Amino acid sequence: MLFEGLILLFYLVFYGFLAALFSFTMWAMLQTLNDEVPKYRDQIPSPGLMVFPKPVTALEYTFSVSDPSSYEGYIKDLKKFLKSYSLEEQKNLTNCTDGVLFEQKGPVYVACRFPDFLLQACSGRNDPDFGYSQGQPCILVKMNRIIGLKPEGSPRIDCISKDENTAIVSTYPNHGIIDLKYFPYYGKKLHVGYLQPLVAVQVSFESNSTKKEVTVECKIEGSRNLRNEDDRDKFLGRVAFKITART
Amino acid sequence: MSRKTLEIYSVELDGTKDTKQTDQEDDKKYNDLDLKKSHQKEELKRELDLDDHKLTSEELEQKYGTNIITGLSSARAAEHLARDGPNTLSPPKQTPEIIKFLKQMVGGFSILLWIGAVLCWIAYGIQYVNDKSASLDSVYLGVVLALVVILTGIFAYYQEAKSTNIMASFSKMIPQEALVIRDSEKKVIPAEQLVVGDIVEIKGGDQIPADIRLLSSQGCKVDNSSLTGESEPQPRSAEFTHENPLETKNIGFYSTTCLEGTATGVVINTGDRTVIGRIASLASGVGSEKTPIATEIEHFVHIVAGVAVSVGLLFFIIAVSLKYQVLDSIIFLIGIIVANVPEGLLATVTVTLSLTAKRMAKKNCLVKNLEAVETLGSTSIICSDKTGTLTQNRMAVAHLWFDNQIFMADTSENQLNQAFDQSSGTWASLSKIIALCNRAEFRPGQENIPIMKKVVVGDASETALLKFSEVILGDVMEIRKRNRKVAEIPFNSTNKFQLSIHETEDPEDKHFLVVMKGAPERILERCSTIMINGQEQPLGKSNATAFHTAYMELGGLGERVLGFCHLYLPEDEFPESYPFDVDAMNFPTSNLCFVGLLSMIDPPRSTVPDAVAKCRSAGIKVIMVTGDHPITAKAVAKSVGVISASSETVEDIARRCSIAVEQVNKRDARAAVVTGMELKDMAPEQLDEILANYSEIVFARTSPQQKLIIVEGCQRQDAVVAVTGDGVNDSPALKKADIGIAMGIAGSDAAKNAADMVLLDDNFASIVTGVEEGRLIFDNLKKTIAYTLTKNIAELCPFLIYIIVGLPLPIGTITLLFIDLGTDIIPSIALAYEKAESDIMNRKPRHKKKDRLVNHQLAIYSYLHIGLMQALGAFLVYFTVYAQQGFWPTSLINLRVRWEKDELNDVEDSYGQEWTRYQRKYLEWTGYTAFFVGIMVQQIADLIIRKTRRNSIFQQGLFRNKVIWVGIASQIIIALILSYGLGSVTALSFTMLR
Repeated sequence: MLFEGLILLFYLVFYGFLAALFSFTMWAMLQTLNDEVPKYRDQIPSPGLMVFPKPVTALEYTFSVSDPSSYEGYIKDLKKFLKSYSLEEQKNLTNCTDGVLFEQKGPVYVACRFPDFLLQACSGRNDPDFGYSQGQPCILVKMNRIIGLKPEGSPRIDCISKDENTAIVSTYPNHGIIDLKYFPYYGKKLHVGYLQPLVAVQVSFESNSTKKEVTVECKIEGSRNLRNEDDRDKFLGRVAFKITART
Repeated sequence: MSRKTLEIYSVELDGTKDTKQTDQEDDKKYNDLDLKKSHQKEELKRELDLDDHKLTSEELEQKYGTNIITGLSSARAAEHLARDGPNTLSPPKQTPEIIKFLKQMVGGFSILLWIGAVLCWIAYGIQYVNDKSASLDSVYLGVVLALVVILTGIFAYYQEAKSTNIMASFSKMIPQEALVIRDSEKKVIPAEQLVVGDIVEIKGGDQIPADIRLLSSQGCKVDNSSLTGESEPQPRSAEFTHENPLETKNIGFYSTTCLEGTATGVVINTGDRTVIGRIASLASGVGSEKTPIATEIEHFVHIVAGVAVSVGLLFFIIAVSLKYQVLDSIIFLIGIIVANVPEGLLATVTVTLSLTAKRMAKKNCLVKNLEAVETLGSTSIICSDKTGTLTQNRMAVAHLWFDNQIFMADTSENQLNQAFDQSSGTWASLSKIIALCNRAEFRPGQENIPIMKKVVVGDASETALLKFSEVILGDVMEIRKRNRKVAEIPFNSTNKFQLSIHETEDPEDKHFLVVMKGAPERILERCSTIMINGQEQPLGKSNATAFHTAYMELGGLGERVLGFCHLYLPEDEFPESYPFDVDAMNFPTSNLCFVGLLSMIDPPRSTVPDAVAKCRSAGIKVIMVTGDHPITAKAVAKSVGVISASSETVEDIARRCSIAVEQVNKRDARAAVVTGMELKDMAPEQLDEILANYSEIVFARTSPQQKLIIVEGCQRQDAVVAVTGDGVNDSPALKKADIGIAMGIAGSDAAKNAADMVLLDDNFASIVTGVEEGRLIFDNLKKTIAYTLTKNIAELCPFLIYIIVGLPLPIGTITLLFIDLGTDIIPSIALAYEKAESDIMNRKPRHKKKDRLVNHQLAIYSYLHIGLMQALGAFLVYFTVYAQQGFWPTSLINLRVRWEKDELNDVEDSYGQEWTRYQRKYLEWTGYTAFFVGIMVQQIADLIIRKTRRNSIFQQGLFRNKVIWVGIASQIIIALILSYGLGSVTALSFTMLR
């Protein structure tokens, strides 16, 4: 009995000590970190592209024009997402100079406005259904945030329809321009209220085309340091998605 | 089985065997009680239903369709050959190579890994059916697992094959030839082409090529020791002398040696149908015991496999109930199994064993079966032969008695100087008699060979005397030349003396000198005077008493005593031209002058007493089994320490206290001498009692067959028994023993085949070095296993945490395999080079049921102490990598599902950055690599921890085992290559680390 007790005590002390040691080393490790900027950023040198709203199945938007419930979810997500882009929400943000990088020295970092009207037909102002009810759905394309990323040149997002002549693809802002003033990003903690630039893609199917199905591919163009054709990473600077609009 | 090849039967060796007293008549009858208990008796009986020895030549001719004068015709011989097959012993049934190979493929952990691999492919199949673009990860994993199994299987197979090859090369066949009469012509043909009915001629030095019935012989003698254990040369003639075919003189047995003379005989049995062939095949019928290490490894495999499967299934169930997909759960299951199974360990064990086997081969222990290496270490009883193993297998002068004094002679192997007092005049006379009254001669052409190594023509005693005098007096041949021999009566068993008459050295002195040696009492009878201090004195009563005392004393030491006397013939009666006639005995053979006694013994090997003492301190019981007379056996046992100086037998106590043997309390005696006769009448329980109660036992006058009974008795005591043997008849005992040790020099092929180990120098001391190596390997295997098991926890935890807490996977299955089969292999082999910790030969032998290779202490220490620390350390590294890249530990919890979603390409980290799937995957691989390096670095520390089990690392010395450092270097180099060199190979999931 005593023997078992001793063994139990040993394990309590031993594991207690191990736990303490582990916690201490973890704590020490965390102390070496900066909570504003990650220690290393070598693994994300170039941003990925992603679409919004997130489709139900992997990157395939399927909805029926005549059935609002089939796109209700998308509209809800878009509205929610664009809420922070509304003018009211951006009152405290700065109007920055277009076309140049907005580098800041701190200690306070300000965010640039991205008014939702830049998205024109896809802003949701005039069309609360974001075109879904007309069979011209809007999809947002956004570039992943990366701290300190300074795009060179004049980056834009080019979207093309892979299936010819079935649909017209329009991008807003015009030409899918991404303004340099939104870069660099200084991180969640410092850069409060930061809004990442968006590009909206609207697909209008030709009225005579019977097959209302299109695959759209978007790529970042116009910038040397934003890569868009990595063999392994299919989302690095590009994204492809499929839209099927049934009547 | 190949023919006997290593028979270095010089005359010397043959002769020595006559020291074994021939009281074996009772034993050599196969039909007696010896083998009552074993089924072999019936077999032996049946096989000896030979009646050819009773037939006349004519009947033989008829039976075998041959002609004694002209032999078989070639056509007939070919016919017989086609019918009976070649005259060779068929090799012991061997498992076909392919079966051996397949066994390696499915043995041990392999079956688990195969299941893992197949599950992987099934999982991929299901994924593929659902989604054509399913990732190939699980296919890679399955392929890697299969490769691992196949490669380790091939490796283990190769190792085993290699060690078998050592043996094969050892017993390389030297084609044997036979002189046969066919078509009325004498032809030399390969012995394997002999057929029944062939007429063969044999001469001294030949091996008898088949069982033959002798038709004629001239002074033919054979050495049947390998068959019957009789060591005396057996005369062979054409007469039918005994009902029992083994006893009768007119049959010569296959593989025995013809020592001298010539003979002609008709072949009556060939190949496997010969007596030797049948015994050999019997031996292969005796079940070989599973080696202790095999049991241990099996035990270990069961434990680990049990843990792996149960943990795997447990977490499979947990995973399923946590709503993971079944497919994913299967992948977890595979991960857990792979993490739990030490893939490289069995290969490591094989390498370790073969390294030790190599080391032992250097020390003259040739191990046939790799696993026997360790068996030797757990040996608790060694049953050793006496002649040749404990002793030098030659006669040597041990004591001299002259001037009423006993002198001791040096009996060591090299015998450079004899230190006893040689100033007395008696010695001068005695040495002259020793040198002259001797028919042995050195074979010419050996001038540069040390005296003790020279080959002598003559019997063992004469050889001993010749060498003895050569050492002391110098060139004996020269002395004999100066003292020309004029007449001689050789030794014969009726008069029991040898006599020769010489001219004296001094050309002026015309005396003749009669010198005589022989059985002491016979010599004394012929003497009337005795030489004391160089002076002849009348042989009084007191002198006679002194003689008897000395004679008894020397005889009591188990030594063969010879008496020496001489006489100078009066010149007037025996002038220079006197015609000595040995048949008429026209010279005096009585009233001689007694000079001294000399005793000879087959001396113990000089290294043996130490070795026996070492065995004793190592808790190993040494039992001597010999065909010799009990007195000789006991004397040798005492001189080598098998019976220690302070021990007494029941008989000793009885003599000391002058009471009857029955009155002695048996508990007082520690030693026992048991004869074959007593053993024969003993019930197994009585034998058990003897084996259990006496710590020092000598079995004397035993037959080789009784060895089997002794071995079985020892095994009933739960002992691990090692047995030495050389004869064909020893092979059942060798097979039965936990480790059979055959003699490399004196051993027959049958014995070598049945044995697990061959002792190249026939020396008992080599067994003890073997034991030491065996114990060392057990210790080192423990270290290796502990080292290997430790990381299993660090490999297993990631999967458990992954399932329960939902962290991104810390280490991939393939990466795990790189630890198990990459970085860890060389260090774990390096532990095999670890030197013994000081007390290795002061421990009791391990108990085969209690002291397991893997016991719960080892498992707990490895898993719950060091293993856990290792896991924590590796996790620390893992968290560091993620935190430095942006994912704080807290953000990782339950991240798994989103982390692994392929279409989710904007997973946010703790700093607001967004990651694509591939970027995450790359980070995950970095995590794998970091975790891998974390384990690897800690394994270096673990390696140093495992260097010692009892001693402190400073006692053991950090740098004594250089191979450890090679291991550490290899670990680092492999890790560097993997993380910096192969970072671009997708399937391996390694990335560069900062």
